[in-house]
This record gives sequence, structure tokens and C-alpha cells, in this order.
Amino acid sequence: MTAPSNPFQDPLRFERRVPPCVLVIFGANGDLTKRKLLPALYRLAYEHRLPPGFAVVGNSRTEMTHETFREKMRESVEQFIEETPFEEKIWNDLATGLYYETGDLKDPACYRRIASRLEEIERERQTGGNVLFYLSTQPSHYQAVIEGLGGARLQESASGGWRRIVVEKPFGHDAVSAKDLDNCIQRIFPEESIYRIDHYLGKETVQNILAFRFGNGIFEPLWNRNYISSVQITAAEAIGVEGRGAYYQEAGALRDMIQNHLLQIMATVAMEPPGTFAPQFVRDERAKLLRAIRHFSPDEVKLNTVAGQYGPGRVGGKALLGFREEPGVAPDAQTDTYAAVTFEVDNWRWAGVPFYIRSGKRLAKRVTDIAIRFHSAPHAVFGEGNGADGGAWAGPNLLVLRVQPEEGISLRFLSKLPGSGMKLRPVEMDFKYGSSFGIRSPLAYETLLVDALVGDATLYTRRDMVEASWEAVQPILDVWGNSRFDLPNYESGSWGPQASDEMLARRGHSWRIP
Amino acid sequence: MIEAPSISPSKLLKDLDALWLHLGENQEDPNHASAVLRACAMTLIAVVEGDVGQEEIGETLALLVREHPSRLIVVKVFDRAEPRLEGEVTAQCWMPFGKRQQICCEQIVLSVSRGSLVEIPPVIRGLIVPDLPVACWVRSHALVQEDLTGVFDLSNKLIVDSGGVAELDHQIQFIRNNETGPRRVGDLAWTRLTRWRQAIAQLFDDAGGGERAQLVTGVRIDFQGGFVPMSAYYLVAWLRQCLERPIAFEFVKVAEADRARVQSVALLGSGGDLSISVSTDRDVELHTGLRCAHTIFPRLREDELLREELSVLGPDPVYEAVVAIVPGLLQPEPVI
Repeated sequence: MTAPSNPFQDPLRFERRVPPCVLVIFGANGDLTKRKLLPALYRLAYEHRLPPGFAVVGNSRTEMTHETFREKMRESVEQFIEETPFEEKIWNDLATGLYYETGDLKDPACYRRIASRLEEIERERQTGGNVLFYLSTQPSHYQAVIEGLGGARLQESASGGWRRIVVEKPFGHDAVSAKDLDNCIQRIFPEESIYRIDHYLGKETVQNILAFRFGNGIFEPLWNRNYISSVQITAAEAIGVEGRGAYYQEAGALRDMIQNHLLQIMATVAMEPPGTFAPQFVRDERAKLLRAIRHFSPDEVKLNTVAGQYGPGRVGGKALLGFREEPGVAPDAQTDTYAAVTFEVDNWRWAGVPFYIRSGKRLAKRVTDIAIRFHSAPHAVFGEGNGADGGAWAGPNLLVLRVQPEEGISLRFLSKLPGSGMKLRPVEMDFKYGSSFGIRSPLAYETLLVDALVGDATLYTRRDMVEASWEAVQPILDVWGNSRFDLPNYESGSWGPQASDEMLARRGHSWRIP
Repeated sequence: MIEAPSISPSKLLKDLDALWLHLGENQEDPNHASAVLRACAMTLIAVVEGDVGQEEIGETLALLVREHPSRLIVVKVFDRAEPRLEGEVTAQCWMPFGKRQQICCEQIVLSVSRGSLVEIPPVIRGLIVPDLPVACWVRSHALVQEDLTGVFDLSNKLIVDSGGVAELDHQIQFIRNNETGPRRVGDLAWTRLTRWRQAIAQLFDDAGGGERAQLVTGVRIDFQGGFVPMSAYYLVAWLRQCLERPIAFEFVKVAEADRARVQSVALLGSGGDLSISVSTDRDVELHTGLRCAHTIFPRLREDELLREELSVLGPDPVYEAVVAIVPGLLQPEPVI
């Protein structure tokens, strides 16, 4: 017989609450912990969404006392909380639950110390044996941590609590290493306890794609090859590698953005409606879509992908370094700081519809959006060049889902220009997230942390999703890895290499300027 | 013969069009290069006393429309012998932080004497935004006594505040009577309890929480003020509704106050010592066994309470069940 559950619930009005538990952060002295995780936890404490006994155990190699760790975390929280006042009492309550365990991740004694700390916390703070492990270390340490946890039997709770693990991206370096990592984790943790984080899925605007598609009745009937001619997904950054040259040199835009974030967004845009909004159903549909992405032959890679790298440039009177001049970057680096791919989805809904995806650094501005381009009207009733025929100035209907900044949705359609005659002009119906809902949107890490702590994996990726997205980009990586590109091939502050425009032009399309 | 005052909804709508044109024209000024965004997601009727707290009400509505952009219809009721019925249009505008586009919501103010209230429903009917929800907030309990049925009938949600109401029998009956057809009633006295209820729920979130909840046999509620507030009854009713069985309850007056309110809640039974108390206006202590934790119940402004209520425009099964239980609790009143 199952134990009775908490009867005091009101899902309509209550925020989801975190059960008593401990969060163990590996890499607690790193940037992610300081900039994202602790500020997110403080914010949750501020909104009294953390239980009284909640605790955090930080680990890194740096020697620190509990007190020093608390002080460091306090500084980070004060520096990085946004739109939230710092309240001494709230912090003090949270800080009493912060602990620190110094230790080398390869040393089994480190995990034994963490285990005894967890036992002590469980006794004192009644956390019920519930623990969420968070891998915020360098990816090269993941395997050591997982084996260490397994060696100390930390994946199981003697008192029957849950044990989960959050794995930060990058989840592997290619399809083979991703599988190896999965195998390694699954030797210790069952799949339902593994939370692979993709913080794009935690963004409110990405979640809103599901609300937009499946909460409304009027769009879904149009959401297919019969009405949509192409989809463009753009994730552009105005900045360069900002001191991360050494890391980025090994990653590149295809691995850093497209393989994970942008393919997840594409899956959200293109997936079939799930039966219910339950984690398993939503993830099943995302996975099915990712598996339906066509895998390129080497020849197709050349036609459907473009690698780019920014060279020096000037923006606003300021001289900008090219990628190869950035600190830590080899002068002949072949890294793609820009990648554009034309994906196709082999299923009935999307057959023949190109999904143009591009991501790059040092582009003209910072923007992430999704543009759904509809077919033109079948007959130009108002004459050639008057809008509906898809003339360059007008074009067909365009639905743009803006992820950041200016989060919102706009629909472009044609309207009659006032006056005599029948001249058409494109106009926009514009929904702006920020102006329609005055409340602050939770940050992606707040959403995702709560989800992992309450056991909701809807916004996390699953093994089959990760593997399917790696398999979709692996043929590109293989060809690119054996090619020598003439780089750099785009100027800082531009919209990327000319080859990218040519890739779309071959299909009669062009990149929009977001 | 003096002509009775009148308002034409069509004229007010024309005035609104002119207002938007005017706001648009202002943007032609080179110093105001950005456009104005007209925002509207519902009609919100606010019935307020014309002579009381106008500044406070204005601020509440201005803050409220930022989250729930609305066509505001503010009915100001004046306690005058001579008939009065006037309308004017204006706009609530704000510049979102860091943005360059002003957002505006239109506002129609209807000033009416008590004797002319009967004239108001047909005017409002002509001013409602088509195809969007209509909410009606009656700010003061005195106004609930007026014959505003015609106005209430136009709304999908009626929002009242039982916070300062001593005649609880009458009030709960009013709430039940107005929950008719598709219309829902919200009570800000209930909204104020959300954080209390959430804090109580949190005490039972652990693995054994469900079992401990079964051990709760009673509740003691300390309150301030001259009478047991509706919120105290709501809490008892909610506990009974959640536990699906009767529990003993007692109300203890601990201090005088201008406005009756709950100060602390202690759950009684063999499940351990569980209590929540507001030590000052904001600071809250949660005692669970030997552990004590702090949290903050920020003092909620009227616009924040309304914000929550306007987020629940459809059925609210928990509140509706609570409203059905309260009448059974009201007699006799076990005050110590």
C-alpha cells in the first residue's frame, strides 16, 4: 500500500514546491555555480519555494571552510541576483544549509566524506535521503564523478529517498563520446534519474512555443508542408568568444549551439502534439522528431552546410579581433564560429520543408528567433509585385517566434495601403511577452532546478534525444573534420559568410534579417 | 424642468478613439520618437467609492493593468442627493523598464450618485470589450450592499473583499448567491491566505507528510481585531476540505487591531508541534518540531491580491469547496 500523499495542495494557486532534499554541486567554485545556480536558489528561497531543511553541499578542489564557502556564495548572490532584493534573513536561512567538502574528484575518499556529510544533513535537517547531484565541472571530469558516486553507493539512499543527477552540456563531443558518457552514467543511475540540462528548453519563450502550438486551435492545422514553405532558426551573438577561446576552439558553433540548443528548439517547433503534457509524452514526441531528421551523405553535407569563422572588423568605430587573434586560439584554427545547416525532416508533416538553422558569434546583433514562412497566395489577384506574389519587399506571411530579446510573437500579413487604388503593404500583428505580462519571468535555471528537484523531466533531454541529435550532426562533423576551409570568411559585425546566403539561394530562399 | 443626467456609450467610445489619436499624435514629437502600444486582454470594472482613497485606487489600477492589460471601467459611486451620471475617458500609460515603447490601457471613469446606480449597467454593457473576459472588483463592503446586480451580471468574475466584514453569515451567503452559471466569485480575504496555505502545505511535503497530516485533529488560530475574520473560517474550512473530515478548531483573540486578521496558526494533534506565526508585519516563523525557519510574507498590496484573482478566471475548485463548508462553521462561534 502506498503512503498517503500531502493532502494540502492547490495546484491552481500554489507554486510547485521543492521537497526536503540536498543539492550536491560538483564544481562549486566555478562560474556556473556563482552566476546561475546560487542566484537561482536564492531566488527560490526568496519566493519561499525551498523547504525548511533544504541544504547544498559544494565540492571543488579548492580548500575552503563552510564559512568561506558561504561568504563566497553570498557575494555571488549579491552580485548576480536580478530584479530581486537581497534580504539578510532569507540569505541567513539559506546559508545555514550550505556546506562545503574539499576534494579531488578522482579520490574515492572525497565521495566517502560527501556520503557522511549527507548522512549528517539527513539526520539534522530531515531531508529524507533525497539528493540531487549536479555536475558543474569540466566535462572531462564527468566520468570520474560518476564512478566516484557509484563507488560510494551514493546513487542509492538507505532511507528510501530519491537520488538524481543533473549533467550540464556539452553532453559528449560527438556521437561516440555521447554514447560512452551515457553508458557510463547508466551503469550507476537509471535513465529516469538522469537530467541532461539544456537551458534553452527552460526559457519561458521556448516553453511558450508549446502553448502557442497546442493551446490554440487555429495554428496547428496550418503547421505542415501544405502551408509552410520553410523555417529559419537563428541564434546570433554580437560578442566573440570573450576569453573562452581555448574551450571554443575545440567546440565550435555546430557542437556548441546547433547540436543541442537549436535542434531542441527545432524539435519543439516541429514535433507532433503529445497526448498529454506529461514528461514522457512530450519527450517521446521530441525524440521522434529528432530521429526523423535526415542524415546527410558527404555530398549532401557540402550542399547543405556552411562553416564560417569571423575575421577582424570594426563596429561602431571599435576595432574587433578576428577569431584567430583571440587569446588561446591557434593562428590557423579551423573552428567554426558560424555554422548554418539546411535540415530536412523525413515525415509526412514536414517532407520537403527546409529547416534553415544558423548560429554564430560576432554577428550583427544578439538575437534568437524562429521564423515560419508560409507559402505565398496561389494566385496574385492584385497583380505581380503587389505583395502576395512574394516580391522582395513584401513576401508571404511570416510568423516569427522571438526567443530573445524582445520575447514575443509577430505575424506579418498584407494590408491595403489607404487611398485610391489597391496597393498592398506588409504589416505586423505583434505580441510582446514583456508588455502583456508584467510579472518577472523566472530565469531558465530557476525553472530547471525546480523541475529536477520535484522530478519533472519534461524540459530535460533524454538519452535517445541526445543520441538522435548527435547522429544528425555527426555526418557534418565527419566531413568538416576532413576539410580545410578558407577561413576567416566573414567580417565581424556582418550576418555571416556569403556561402550561407548562397546555400539558401539554391532553393530560392534568403535569410531574413532578424 | 431639469433634464436627468445621461451618458452615451457611443460617445465614450468615440472619445476613446480620439484619445488614441491624440496619444499617437504626441508621438510625432521628435522628443517622443517611439510608438504607443495599446494593450487590452479583458474588461475590468472597478466599483469604488467616489469620495474615498482616490489616489490609492488610481495607483492600484495603474499597477494592476501592467500584468492584466484591460479596458478599465471605473465606477465611482458618490453619496450625493442630487443625481449624477458622468463619463470621461483617459489612459493608464507606462514605460516598461529599459524599453522605448510606451504601453497604454484605456480607462473610462463613470461618476455616479447612489440614486443613479440603476442607470449604470446598460452603459457598461455598451462599453465592454467584445470576446474578452469581464471581471468586476467591488472595493468596499458598503458597495456590495448596493443594488449592483445588473453590473455583477455582466461579469465572468466578481471580486470582493471580506477582510473587514463582521457580518460573516450575510457575506458568505452573498458569495454563494453570486456563484451562478459561468460567473465565479473571488474574495481577497481568501487570496491573502495563499501564502499561509502554501506554508502549511510545505510542512507536509516530506515522505511522511501524508501520514502526519492524518494525525492532525485540530487547529488553533490566533487573530487580531474585534471579531473573528472570514480568513480564519476559510482556513478551518480549507483544512477540513483537504483532510476530508471534521477537525476541532478554536479562535483566540490575541490583540486589538483596526482590521481583523490571522496572526498565527497551530495545527494540533499527535503529529508534532507545527505552527506558523507572523512575528511582525512581514517576518514569519515556521516551527516544525525543534526546527524553526524564517520566511517572509511581504505585505501584499491590493493590486497584488487582484493580480492573483485575475489569474484565476475559470473554476477554482478548492475555493468553491471551502465556500460550501464555511456556513456550517459559522455557528456557534467558539471564541476564547
